[in-house]
Amino acid sequence: MTPSKWRTTLVTVLTAAVFNFGVMSAAQAGIVSTGAIVSAERDADLASIRGQLQRADVQAQMQEMGVDAASVDARLATLSDSELRDMAEQMKNAPAGGDVLVLLGAVFLVLLVLELVGVIDVFKKVPAR
Amino acid sequence: MIAPRQAASVLLAACVLLLGGCATRGPLLEPSSRAVELDATPFFPQARYECGPAALATMLGASRVAVTPEELEKRVYLPGRRGSLQIEMQAAPRAYARLSYRIAPELAAIVAELDAGRPVLVLHNYGLPFWPRWHYAVVVGHDGNKDRLILRSGKTRRQVLSARNFMRAWDNGGRWALVVLQPGELPTAPDNRRYLESAAAFEGVASAQDAWRSFDAAARQWPEDPVAWIGRGTASYRSGALPRAIEDYRVALRLDATQVAARNNLAVALLEAGCVAEARRQIEQIDTTALAERMRTEVLDTRRQIESRPADAGTPAAACGGATQ
Repeated sequence: MTPSKWRTTLVTVLTAAVFNFGVMSAAQAGIVSTGAIVSAERDADLASIRGQLQRADVQAQMQEMGVDAASVDARLATLSDSELRDMAEQMKNAPAGGDVLVLLGAVFLVLLVLELVGVIDVFKKVPAR
Repeated sequence: MIAPRQAASVLLAACVLLLGGCATRGPLLEPSSRAVELDATPFFPQARYECGPAALATMLGASRVAVTPEELEKRVYLPGRRGSLQIEMQAAPRAYARLSYRIAPELAAIVAELDAGRPVLVLHNYGLPFWPRWHYAVVVGHDGNKDRLILRSGKTRRQVLSARNFMRAWDNGGRWALVVLQPGELPTAPDNRRYLESAAAFEGVASAQDAWRSFDAAARQWPEDPVAWIGRGTASYRSGALPRAIEDYRVALRLDATQVAARNNLAVALLEAGCVAEARRQIEQIDTTALAERMRTEVLDTRRQIESRPADAGTPAAACGGATQ
């Protein structure tokens, strides 16, 4: 990372941390969310500071992947703690469902390779009349 | 360097392996008397890479949420990946007051959901093992007699796939399938953990009323599960119905006295209801030394709040219901 990128990341992390701590204490007022209970059963000690770091990390990755800043917060708001953790770890490699239109192209490509190396012979010249 | 001939053999072998699923010959769907097709399911033909938003709009439309793929694009499309991630597909319905629930990775589970009138979102992989092509589609029907499934997929309003071809693409996609539920609606044969995780994830976004409905359904389905009651209690707390919240937390503690979160939340609700002495009695029963960091912070915080209040705010002890617990 370049120094300026480091700075941006640091600022994002701190801003997110400060912002989220504020919101959390105001909205929940001492109540432990059911989400925390469910995730605590799987992951005994998910420190909230780690959660904040992951949030900032996902935020940064999303913007890098072309999501506009205004949408990022709305998208993160719907994620549970464990989903946020999965996002932080898998965003670059997890399956991303998108396009099947290239499928035909893929089949053609495979056939073409096989044809060129002589394994199959399906592309025949149209006989001249 | 591999010779072209060898490379071709490898490629061919890969294709053969991929087609290995063909080995079983019998029908995959139960040849049932009843074929089901959810005709009323809307259809949104996908734009270039946007099968995710289109499939999700189809799912939400079937659950009576009118939303366009264009709007959903802002929620689930990742330009950098030219596609949509499963996690976000699963999370997005919560923003429209709907839960998403991962169904069991079996064809029978898809059929059961269709029979119950719910279309099923699936992830297919049409590529090769080393070159995956991921695609979201919505299953809207099954026909056991002809051993085939009907889908809304890509630009095709009514795609008919043999069960065999469907299974190949679904297997390669990790057998991921989910349904969209209204608050209070349960899937067929609900799995306790998976449903409660769905409801808990929904709680963070949902209105207090919607959260209450979701956990109420869970408490009816699994009356012995403390987490269902805690969830319902917290929803009541959020809507200001303190006596109901207190009652639900107490039910959870009767089922499992070691539920620290239930006791902490009970103490908070009691304190807010003016039952300072009873709140103190509850919070003092928690041994904080053995707790995980996050939970200990919450409990100590509640304890401080209680200690900062005058000993008795004047609410009669009987109204605080301390005798039973």
